[in-house]
Amino acid sequence: MGARSDGERRVVWQGILLGAGLLAATTALLVHFRDHLGAVHVALVYLLLVLLVSARFGRIPGMLLSALAFLVFNFYFIAPYRTLLIGNPADWLVLFAFLATGFTAAQLLYLARREAALREAARVKDEMLAAVSHDIRTPLTSIRAVAHEVAQDGDERGLAIEEETIRLTQFVEDLLDLSRLRAGGLAMAPAINTADDVVGAALQRIAGIAVGREIRAAVESEPLLAGRFDFTHTLRIVANLLENAVKYSPASSPIDFVVRRTGELVCFEVADRGPGLPAGQEDAVFSAFYRPPNTVPDRRSAGLGLALARGLAELQGGTLTYTPREGGGSRFTLRLPAVDLTREFEQAP
Amino acid sequence: MPSARVLVIEDDTAIRSVVRAAVEADGGRVFEAATAAAGLQLAAAERPDLIVLDLGLPDADGRDVCKRLRAQGPVPILVLSARQQDTEKATLLDSGADDYLTKPFSTLELRARLRAQVRRARMLRVTEQGAPLRAAGLTVDFELRSVRRNDQEIHLTPTEWTLLQALARDVGRTVTHDQLFARVWGREYGDAQKYLRVYIAQLRRKIEGDPLRPVLIVTEPGVGYRFCAPEP
Repeated sequence: MGARSDGERRVVWQGILLGAGLLAATTALLVHFRDHLGAVHVALVYLLLVLLVSARFGRIPGMLLSALAFLVFNFYFIAPYRTLLIGNPADWLVLFAFLATGFTAAQLLYLARREAALREAARVKDEMLAAVSHDIRTPLTSIRAVAHEVAQDGDERGLAIEEETIRLTQFVEDLLDLSRLRAGGLAMAPAINTADDVVGAALQRIAGIAVGREIRAAVESEPLLAGRFDFTHTLRIVANLLENAVKYSPASSPIDFVVRRTGELVCFEVADRGPGLPAGQEDAVFSAFYRPPNTVPDRRSAGLGLALARGLAELQGGTLTYTPREGGGSRFTLRLPAVDLTREFEQAP
Repeated sequence: MPSARVLVIEDDTAIRSVVRAAVEADGGRVFEAATAAAGLQLAAAERPDLIVLDLGLPDADGRDVCKRLRAQGPVPILVLSARQQDTEKATLLDSGADDYLTKPFSTLELRARLRAQVRRARMLRVTEQGAPLRAAGLTVDFELRSVRRNDQEIHLTPTEWTLLQALARDVGRTVTHDQLFARVWGREYGDAQKYLRVYIAQLRRKIEGDPLRPVLIVTEPGVGYRFCAPEP
């Protein structure tokens, strides 16, 4: 329990006083009908009070009221009356069952309230990120356009501003999606898609940053390779792998981009001749804000891309893994559920 | 884009001047409107060759404006939006927009899209008169129902032909998955998705130089496909 604010303390006191008041009033009423009531009836009425107070004022007043009700219960309703003695051993059971139920109920209500508060906080954070991502786009567009003009006039700083603008947008977008992914709020539409289509769209998407790079793309062609996955998410994963390969391997080295079928899986492989990962980093590279050990922080990347890529792969029932490439370099493999088109496609018109 | 007359409906002054610069760089002329009401009025009065429409206008829902502009006539509409959900793009294209650009876009991209829309409008007028469509070594003759690549006849199955026609008739425009299903297979096919994917792949293997680097049938992720006529 952390420090409590004055406001919280006041609520606790209000709960205790109100609870005690209700308990006194209820008891006065119940004592009147004591001869017609069993111990269990009284216990149920008291439990109702405990629940009301816990729900309205929180765990502390709820538990205190449980304890107080336990004593009052014993004093007025367990024979011999007006003592804290207990005549019938079975009444011990009723009393302690009452106390345990009261405590548990207070605790559960508290947890439920905290859970609801956490969910609300996550929702507000998500909405805020979405609003930021939306509102930031219009000014970024004009910044980017003006920077472009400046660059066209021969000032190289314009080019730098334009690149930074693109990075900033990407960063905000990745943050938003990572947050949605973790909260389970990212939309997904799995459907039958061909490997051809993913490869074509991915090469098109990275064309701008891969200028002058040789990307050797190959898809096992017969039969037509297809899988059941979300096209947009898959494209994003594959484009991210290609982008990393372009960024982290020598400009003169080719990048291999191969799609093949292995059993029930379609495997998208992106392999480069960059430095590869240090041993033991094969999994760490997929955590958010990853930085390779003993390296200068890389200004070009916030380290969100691969975390997001793996999350998107798993969301679709796939995997994303790293293996060192024989002869040096990295090999990233995205595996997604394959679909047999020949079987799916028998009655094609 | 010689003498193209472009109407920009956008409440953000900075973005309006970005579009103005892009249009003027290609020799076009710009009309500006800051509200949907003013935009609709100008569109009716000036009959522009192209409309650039921002979705986040203060006085009306972007999709409604899109529909009302479309009702006025066949002028190409390029939508600018700060949101980037695939479903939203598809909805907009289904409500009559011709193309879609997500902010922040690059000036080069904007200019390319503007040129493509103007060119498309002109090509459509030509193909309506029955002239064949020519793009990247490919000739599509709608009258003769024939496709040639560098003077070599390409044999297409009836479904492949219908699909190619559905895309090529709307050259330069993204045709959504739903629109393609409706045009090629009709609404009755439950899971037309897989047919579409397979026929696109087959068609690309027949008409593209490199089917893994398509230049004619381009994928618009999560939205549809676009038949491109690469700039000459």
